[in-house]
Amino acid sequence: MILPKFEYKSAENIAKAIAFYERYNGKIRYLAGGTDLIPLVKLRLSTPMAIIDLKEIEGLKAISHQGGWLVIGANVTLFELKNNNTVKEYFPALYESLDATSCETLQMRGTIGGNILQNTRCLLYNQSLEWRTARGFCFKMGGETCNVVPNARACFSNYCSDNALSLMALSASVKLVGPRGERKMPLEKIFSGDGRNPFTLMPGEILTEILIPMKRSKGAYEKLRVRDSIDYPLLGVGVSTKGNAGRVCVGGIGPSPLVYNLKDINESAFKDVAEKAYSDARPVSNTTLSPDYRKKMVSVLIQRASKKALQEGK
Amino acid sequence: MENEFTTVGKRVVRSDSLAKVTGEACYTADIKLPGMLAAKVLRSPYPHAKILRIDLKRALKVPGVKAAISGFDTYGIKWGVFRYTKDHPMLPTDKVRYIGEDVAAVAAVDEETALEALSHIRVDYEPLPAVFDPEEAMQEGAPQIHKEFTNNINIHVNIDVGKVDEAMNKAFLVREDTFKAAGEAYAMKEPYAVVASYKNGFLDLWMPNAGPHVRAKALSNLLKMPLNRVRIRHINSGGAFGGRSEVSPGDLIASFLSIKAGRPVKLVLSREENATSTRQVHDIIATVKTGMKKDGTIVAKDYRAVYDGGAYSSTGPIATSIPFYVYEECYRFRNVRYNGYRVFTNKGIRGMYGCHGRAFLAGNEAQMDFMAKELGMDPVEIRLKNGLTSGEVTATKSKITSCGLKETIQKASEKTGFKKKWARTQRFKGIGMGCVAMMCGFPMGFRSGSSCYVKMNEDGQVTLVTGVIDNGQGNESLAIQVASEVLGVPMEDINLVNADTEATNLDPGSYSQASTFVGANAVKVACENARRKIVAIAAQKLGVKEADIGLKDRMAYSRKTPDNKMRISWAAREAFFRGEPIVGTGSFFPKIDFEREWVSRPWGQMAGTFSFGTSVAEVAIDSETGKVSIPHFTAAHDCGRPINPMAVEGQMEGSIQQAGVATIMEGNLWEGGFLLNPDLLEYKVPLACDMPDIETIIVSSRDPEGPFGAKEGGLTIRMNAHSAVACAVSNATGTVFRELPLTPDRVLNALQRKKGVKR
Repeated sequence: MILPKFEYKSAENIAKAIAFYERYNGKIRYLAGGTDLIPLVKLRLSTPMAIIDLKEIEGLKAISHQGGWLVIGANVTLFELKNNNTVKEYFPALYESLDATSCETLQMRGTIGGNILQNTRCLLYNQSLEWRTARGFCFKMGGETCNVVPNARACFSNYCSDNALSLMALSASVKLVGPRGERKMPLEKIFSGDGRNPFTLMPGEILTEILIPMKRSKGAYEKLRVRDSIDYPLLGVGVSTKGNAGRVCVGGIGPSPLVYNLKDINESAFKDVAEKAYSDARPVSNTTLSPDYRKKMVSVLIQRASKKALQEGK
Repeated sequence: MENEFTTVGKRVVRSDSLAKVTGEACYTADIKLPGMLAAKVLRSPYPHAKILRIDLKRALKVPGVKAAISGFDTYGIKWGVFRYTKDHPMLPTDKVRYIGEDVAAVAAVDEETALEALSHIRVDYEPLPAVFDPEEAMQEGAPQIHKEFTNNINIHVNIDVGKVDEAMNKAFLVREDTFKAAGEAYAMKEPYAVVASYKNGFLDLWMPNAGPHVRAKALSNLLKMPLNRVRIRHINSGGAFGGRSEVSPGDLIASFLSIKAGRPVKLVLSREENATSTRQVHDIIATVKTGMKKDGTIVAKDYRAVYDGGAYSSTGPIATSIPFYVYEECYRFRNVRYNGYRVFTNKGIRGMYGCHGRAFLAGNEAQMDFMAKELGMDPVEIRLKNGLTSGEVTATKSKITSCGLKETIQKASEKTGFKKKWARTQRFKGIGMGCVAMMCGFPMGFRSGSSCYVKMNEDGQVTLVTGVIDNGQGNESLAIQVASEVLGVPMEDINLVNADTEATNLDPGSYSQASTFVGANAVKVACENARRKIVAIAAQKLGVKEADIGLKDRMAYSRKTPDNKMRISWAAREAFFRGEPIVGTGSFFPKIDFEREWVSRPWGQMAGTFSFGTSVAEVAIDSETGKVSIPHFTAAHDCGRPINPMAVEGQMEGSIQQAGVATIMEGNLWEGGFLLNPDLLEYKVPLACDMPDIETIIVSSRDPEGPFGAKEGGLTIRMNAHSAVACAVSNATGTVFRELPLTPDRVLNALQRKKGVKR
């Protein structure tokens, strides 16, 4: 499959990238590692007039400690982040999710910012233009129906970032810069809950930094997949605890992750969350494994991740 | 193993390896010819629809478009492997029968222009009711896909040997199970591509194919051109696995476009098109009923197997038969009935596959294990008891001339400590065994044989000309190795000219496991004929008897007095002086019963010989998620004498991946007529991290007719690795598997079924 034609511009800094955004009247896509974007463009799921490359922006490539936060530039590759000593020592859940992302070759290409802002996926959405035209366009393609759940009024596409789950479990925040200025918010606030347009980012906004509170944590990331490499999660669970507080995040099912705050750090608290998440999860038949099975696995993986997190503490 | 040979039986580096690992090897998509155009194909968006009109006019007006065609521009000749299966129009004009079927095509200056032009082709369809399930398709009143085939039954193979019902009634133990398996994708590394170049009435073609001569003949028929004007040329192939045996619509499309445009045309399919619109693997439902005596002897087998054939016949009669044959060539069945149905559905066309028939084969093997257990036996004993031995005749009258089945079972079980592990039933761990036999070649009429031509140049270097084709198995290296042994020159002195229909002679191709047994045998005969000429001259020059002459390391020498020697190249020059150059031709034709026919006369000698093998898989199951892992895999293979043990091991390892590990993850997913996983992300080909530790055991036997005693090497494991995994999982769960692939959800269900947990 060949790429359609588009203009390519490389931005040296954020201001220039936003200027390009305005010059092309918003008909652009920002490019970081490209591991999510390029397949989407090849499938004609995204047809930008121009692609604005952010890779040359030096400021987005750094990892630094600032005032109680670990600040990660959005263009830091997954591989570099995985090999960062602070991540290994302080944030085991993040280390595990980075390690579980795709394969090392793609970890070297993909960036943390791009990984967080990857589009939601569906077995009936990530298909060629010919396939989708024959099948009929769904909500997410601008159509009037969901092709997976007849008569549904929402889009059930799945958010498949491994790392957003562990980052949210670590109470990470993000910094966004756009035509209207700069803002900072907790990571979980970027999700709209709408599979058609899964993020709350404003037009032209660029994710520039991810900030994690610099506190040693315990945690784990559990991922359900058929193959042990490359596969997206059919279900992902990130667990992280700091002292008597903790969080469990469940993703890979539906357009936005489920986030649970733990009131206490013990087996029964985790069990409560597992039960709650099991009843909250609404998988549909849009991946290679059945929704029933994926639902069943929600509590299994939460208990596994929590066991690992609790054991680490001993 | 020690042997008397210089090259044969040695672990030599394959002749094609260097070019492939350095990226120098040229594949079809790499070809660039002056003035070459890019082609694109418009495909059916409907699973079943009448074609009312195809209008190419607006597409032809797009600047840069040089030609456009639909079925109305062809001769309308339908393709079929057999006289009674000519049902595939390649570019249909009456109706489309699956989503992704070729409808029209354009050739333009570049791919973008061609894509643009496709959007200007207008096709008017009238959608028809479609059917996707083979059992439904067989019912009265189901939509009829081809009017020539009532109730969509494309092929019915009926084999009935002995007295099945009587024997079943008398049997001590009878068991019946039904097994299902999803069809697979071939997932070749190279998506299909073809280059066609028509000039001065001659058509040159390049494409990955498994038999250039049969491909040329098919195209000669479809294009109404003499065979010597349709030239299939040599090119490297990025895999075939049975999916590239037949002429493809792309071949015809590129040819017609090149003829129309007067320029070379290249068509490269996308990964998705390769999955939807070339060949797919049959979904299968197999019901296996087995009767056994108290001592474990199989007294009766009764089979019903339904093959979802997709929209056209393809290799239907063969596909409907092969799973049965590779099984009856392995075990003794005195009373056996087989009803195999290949049924049309409105899905992609299904072809032969290197691991074809997993529901049937794995089903038989898993059921046998559970019956053995009931009789107080184990899988090893029951296989040894029922396995065929050399000299026996199969149920459908094929004589087994060499057979190492017993040794493969014994060696594989000893190596793995099978009996102990199988009996111990550790929780969530399992071990399983799969056996099968493999015919080396099958009846293809006069195309069953191969011929070779060899010449020695004045410098003693050799040119070898054979129709043998290589789809990655190492057939080219094999031919060179055999010639090297016979002629006494190193492999690097031999230039191979192969698989080029204007230069090479008829050969069966590489899809009936004939390349070693038939193709390499022809090479050996040709080289022996050339060798005799070298030996005659050398004997004269060295003053010794011909019987005393040996050829080795480019030298002819006296075996008695090795210092008495001369260069082989001198003999070549002397031969030119005498006007009788060192050349040789040779042929090999296997002893097959050519009255045998897949449907009308399913008995008689199937092949010149048979390979045998046993696979053993060890699995562990995650009891909470149902996910299977395969830490160890052991395969033992009787491939006759291995010409290149390293190449055979490579084939065995590839087989363990493609058939064995695939058993837990590979399967095409459908929503009606839509293939849901035409890509390599959602179609789960096992990755390096999913691979087990592998132990390969070559049981070296000597086939009386094989070249240097060799037989087919590798495919046997491809046809039993799935059984080993399915049996191991069944062993671990304590219940016979029901459906492949054994994805975690299915395995978890099996565990809960066994526990009696209500679902």
